[in-house]
Amino acid sequence: MVDFLIGVFLATLITSLFTTRLYRLLFWYSLNSLTLGLLALSISKELDDTAMLITGIATIVLKALVIPYTLKYLSQKFHLIRQITPEIKVQYAVIFIPAILVFTFYLAEPITLMIHNHTNYVAVSISSLFLSLLLMMEHKNIAPKIVGFLSMENALFLLGITATNGMPMLVELGIFFDLMMAIVVINLLFHREGLKNA
Amino acid sequence: MLELLLFPSVVIFILSFIKSEKTKKALAFVAFLILIPTTKLLMLEKPYNLLGDYLVVDDLGAYILFVSSIVGIAVALALMTIEKHVEVTKNAYRRFYRFFATFWVGLILSILSNNMGIYWIGLELATLSTVYMIKTNHSNMAHKEAWNYMIVGAIAISLVLFGIILIYASAKPILGEDAMSFDLLLAHAKDIKASFLFNIGFAIVSVGMFIKMGFFPMNLWLANIERASFYPVAALFSGILESAVIIGFFRFSKIAMAINYHYTFIFIFTYTILTIFIVSFLIFRVKDFMRLFSLSGIEHMALIALFWVSGGTFAALLHFASHAFLKPALFLSTGVLESNGKYKMQGALRGYKGKKGAIFWVLVSLFFLAVISLPPSPMFFSELYGFGSMIDLAKQSDYLLEMLGAIFILLVLLSIIFYKFVEIYQDMKYEGEENEKVVYTSELISLAVFAISLVLLLSPIVMNYLKGIS
Repeated sequence: MVDFLIGVFLATLITSLFTTRLYRLLFWYSLNSLTLGLLALSISKELDDTAMLITGIATIVLKALVIPYTLKYLSQKFHLIRQITPEIKVQYAVIFIPAILVFTFYLAEPITLMIHNHTNYVAVSISSLFLSLLLMMEHKNIAPKIVGFLSMENALFLLGITATNGMPMLVELGIFFDLMMAIVVINLLFHREGLKNA
Repeated sequence: MLELLLFPSVVIFILSFIKSEKTKKALAFVAFLILIPTTKLLMLEKPYNLLGDYLVVDDLGAYILFVSSIVGIAVALALMTIEKHVEVTKNAYRRFYRFFATFWVGLILSILSNNMGIYWIGLELATLSTVYMIKTNHSNMAHKEAWNYMIVGAIAISLVLFGIILIYASAKPILGEDAMSFDLLLAHAKDIKASFLFNIGFAIVSVGMFIKMGFFPMNLWLANIERASFYPVAALFSGILESAVIIGFFRFSKIAMAINYHYTFIFIFTYTILTIFIVSFLIFRVKDFMRLFSLSGIEHMALIALFWVSGGTFAALLHFASHAFLKPALFLSTGVLESNGKYKMQGALRGYKGKKGAIFWVLVSLFFLAVISLPPSPMFFSELYGFGSMIDLAKQSDYLLEMLGAIFILLVLLSIIFYKFVEIYQDMKYEGEENEKVVYTSELISLAVFAISLVLLLSPIVMNYLKGIS
């Protein structure tokens, strides 16, 4: 089950790199977060860890539902451009993305040797981090950059639950709080973005 | 005590919602209240547990928080007359204070944190609140730079979190969930078996922090943001936000040095020298005050990191406080100095009439000369002690010649910066047209606060306190 979920996690991120519509991108982000939440729930069951169970539920509620919905609402409110064509052409991206995956698996090898549980997942989370950075770089529009930033946070969350079997509860909740704060700030910044597009 | 620390922020946050002219003075007054708990923390017996094992006040944290609170007060004073120099709406002004309050909460958390996770949460909170502060300026450039800060800042802070996770993973087998605590990590540094994993984590944390401070290869992003935002924002960046970043660096590097001093030293040494090399030439080409002070700030932060890993704790902390007072003072002066236009340096120090004018240009001249380490500036002494500690370190190792060579290169680079500052100062004082300019009392008081603080830095009581921080 965990292997399947981690595959879906990576697949949704890769798909979002090829997406050319904003709402579809938000959908892939939502699915990516949902997979992450389910992964946390699955690992929490395996380890019998209540803290990770709460974090998993919070991930599903906040990242898979609240944040994508809020971003969609904000993009409608401020009339953001919904056509988001990546700067990297598809024919180059299909070569580039597997290259990143191979490179990060190679790069993460010394790290994975020192982590006894879920070794491949650590490599997947590091490659997700690079792919999220690519998502931020390949778009000129602000909204996909924000999704890239949120995906990067998902990749770090995955690293947290796989490399360390979960960070302390207080830290996880703090990260969620900061994420909500980020959405507040993004809302304020979108206001002017909307004025520019009007 | 925690309530006292958070009280000013909460009051400022509430006051920022009141649409009255009277709140303006009240906001500045409330900012002063932060001095009460921070002074008390300095005097308390340490370590003092402020909130269990999560927030613990030690000598280093109390010192950095006190320095930051002085900067905060001085910035609040200068904010009182901001609309005389730049166009700022009443709404934006109140919103600025709202985020200023959030910024303070983040800073208190990160400076006093004994937990890597809480440190990160505080830093992220402070970073996010500064995004809006940049946007207080309603220009297109500020809007673009606010996004820029949001994105690059988020990448930097994510790298810090990435590193923290790796550090936590390296220490969790021996410390369990306590592997998040700085003090326990330091106490058990030698027991960490996965030292390679820790070193990678530390390197990633450092790179994230260095990006936030504008080190190589991201030398210009911070300068551009400070140029685009209003001058008090730049003062807050250099005087307070960078303090929160550098205290994290101090804490992480202390553990890294206990695990493997050699690797940590070589990594930081190479990174900081490379940064100073690039920054010195960027300063040589600079054409406006904001970028000049911003790039000079990067040079000073690199020197602080270098002195710290060389074993010059006293030098690093003295240099840190001098930088924290001098840079915001210069940034706040910029608001007045740029009365004739943003990119006009010639004659910027001319045209100040009367007592206020005279005090202003004397103070700015002193700050300007102090920042290039002319004696008796505290920076002169800190650099003297810092280079001394580098030579001491070289004597104990097999690399005396290499270290002396590096110090020589560093002195050459610093002399380039020195030359540029002297040239600009001469342009400001003796070139260009003389137009009458106005300076306001609150701005003078703000600069006087910095000047007095700088003088007090050299007092025996402060020196002894700094020497007591190991």
